[in-house]
Amino acid sequence: MLEIEDLHAGYGGPTVLKGLSIRVEAGEFVSIVGPNGAGKTTLFKTISGILSPTAGRIRFDGRDLLAVRPSERPHLGIAHVPEGRQVFPSLSVMDNLEMGASTAAGRRDWVRNRRRILDLFPILGERSGQPAGTLSGGQQQMVAIARGLASSPRLLMLDEPSMGLAPAISEQIFERLAEIHRDGIAILLVEQRVAEALASADRGYVLEGGRIALEGDYEVLSGDDRVRQAYLGL
Amino acid sequence: MPMAQLLEDVLQALNAGLLVGALYGLMCVGLGLIFGVMRVINFAQGDFMMCGMYAAFYLFTALGVQAAFGPYGGPYIAAILAGPPLFLFAWAVHRLLLSRVTGMRVTALEGEGHYAQLLLTLGIALILQNGGLFVLGSVPVSIRTPLSSSAFEIGPLLEDGYLTIFVNKARAIAALVSVAVAIGLLLFINRTRLGKTLRAAADNPQAAIYMGIDVERAHRVAFALGVGITAIAGGLLASSYPFTPYVGLEYVIVMYAGVVLGGMGSIGGAFWGGMVIGLIQQLSTLVLPTQLQNTAIFVVFLLIVLLRPQGFFGRSVERT
Repeated sequence: MLEIEDLHAGYGGPTVLKGLSIRVEAGEFVSIVGPNGAGKTTLFKTISGILSPTAGRIRFDGRDLLAVRPSERPHLGIAHVPEGRQVFPSLSVMDNLEMGASTAAGRRDWVRNRRRILDLFPILGERSGQPAGTLSGGQQQMVAIARGLASSPRLLMLDEPSMGLAPAISEQIFERLAEIHRDGIAILLVEQRVAEALASADRGYVLEGGRIALEGDYEVLSGDDRVRQAYLGL
Repeated sequence: MPMAQLLEDVLQALNAGLLVGALYGLMCVGLGLIFGVMRVINFAQGDFMMCGMYAAFYLFTALGVQAAFGPYGGPYIAAILAGPPLFLFAWAVHRLLLSRVTGMRVTALEGEGHYAQLLLTLGIALILQNGGLFVLGSVPVSIRTPLSSSAFEIGPLLEDGYLTIFVNKARAIAALVSVAVAIGLLLFINRTRLGKTLRAAADNPQAAIYMGIDVERAHRVAFALGVGITAIAGGLLASSYPFTPYVGLEYVIVMYAGVVLGGMGSIGGAFWGGMVIGLIQQLSTLVLPTQLQNTAIFVVFLLIVLLRPQGFFGRSVERT
């Protein structure tokens, strides 16, 4: 569904992504792990179009994504849950979800999606009228994920959803991601919590210095000595 | 009974302040909407307002609003009708000029595009002022309605005929229309999907793009709407105050003082900010000569910037 080939990108200074290639199949759960500064957030910004690559190809359903305007990309079925949550602080929780449902598919499925979202995150129903900026970090993360789901995506991209959250809360978030995956939505997850990220995924990539250093399923990656030492602390 | 005379003066100034404050409030709402969503300092807002005043004037006189609705309702209909053409004008200005130096494109520009924005809006202001002078002339005009020379009489509130307040009819109706338009805009911003989209684009433009919101279009709507709203405020003002093409300069200061007072970016706050500016302006005439009433606004403006730069109705939730 998502195919990225030989992607190069940066912010004007040194190149951050140096020939990165990944793919995500429909309904697949793929995790990308790697150290800080490896280019994970840069990759997501390039997929969403906030950043233009200097070279390489991004295809979604066989279509050249780079030819699509950034604000049109969510309408193709890609939802981006950004690093640091980035909820709309002055909008109520429900209005945040409604903004997520800006896509045609999101509007069509609004009633069903809202029911499913409140089923996954019941606390959002209790807080529906409250400005999202006044919620706790974990609740804001739930709003950010729920907002992505409200667009009826086929691919949900999450950038460090566990960042800054208590372990119990981030565990809860990972459980919800597994449920969302079971609904048939493909997930592309970028995470620092390597063990959890790899355990819940169908496949994983290790991103180092702007390139894919290693690829495989949980058994392959957790069996690799470098991954065990550097990321899993085994 | 000198006490009663003083009380009457204070109440009369309070009344004048509330009436003109309601118009200032609406002007500020227009400017506040633009600043809140786009984060652009628009120096041309006063001159867009001037265009709104002339639009209302010509709609009323030459284009038949007076003939159709008479001298009583006509001025207000003309003021409201001045909104749509200025909306379209501002839409075009954003499409052709402003969008080049605002929005997501500005990260590539020096100073995040602020220099370019200041120069551009200042240039638009100068073109509108001098173009107005060229086309419309420098003779002051105003919308004439018999209402502006008649008043509702409240009182006498005390025996012996003391304490009577005169409420100018033209200004009172203009103030009511102004409040109604401001409430309408607030409902639009808070209740409709498009209004919420504008707020989302203001809160976090990047996240708005992730939601598939066309942020540039949201900016265009906010800019056009903000100009249209201020134009309506100008049209309402036009039935009480004579104006020339240079009138914008005077009011852009009032607008900025009100928006800063209300906390930049808060729409409701902008209205109250404008209201407070109107009150300060009129109450200051009790102790200061009339020529100094705008000085009072400046002094208060400086005090706010020094003592409470976030304004009195600033957002409790900061933009991320």
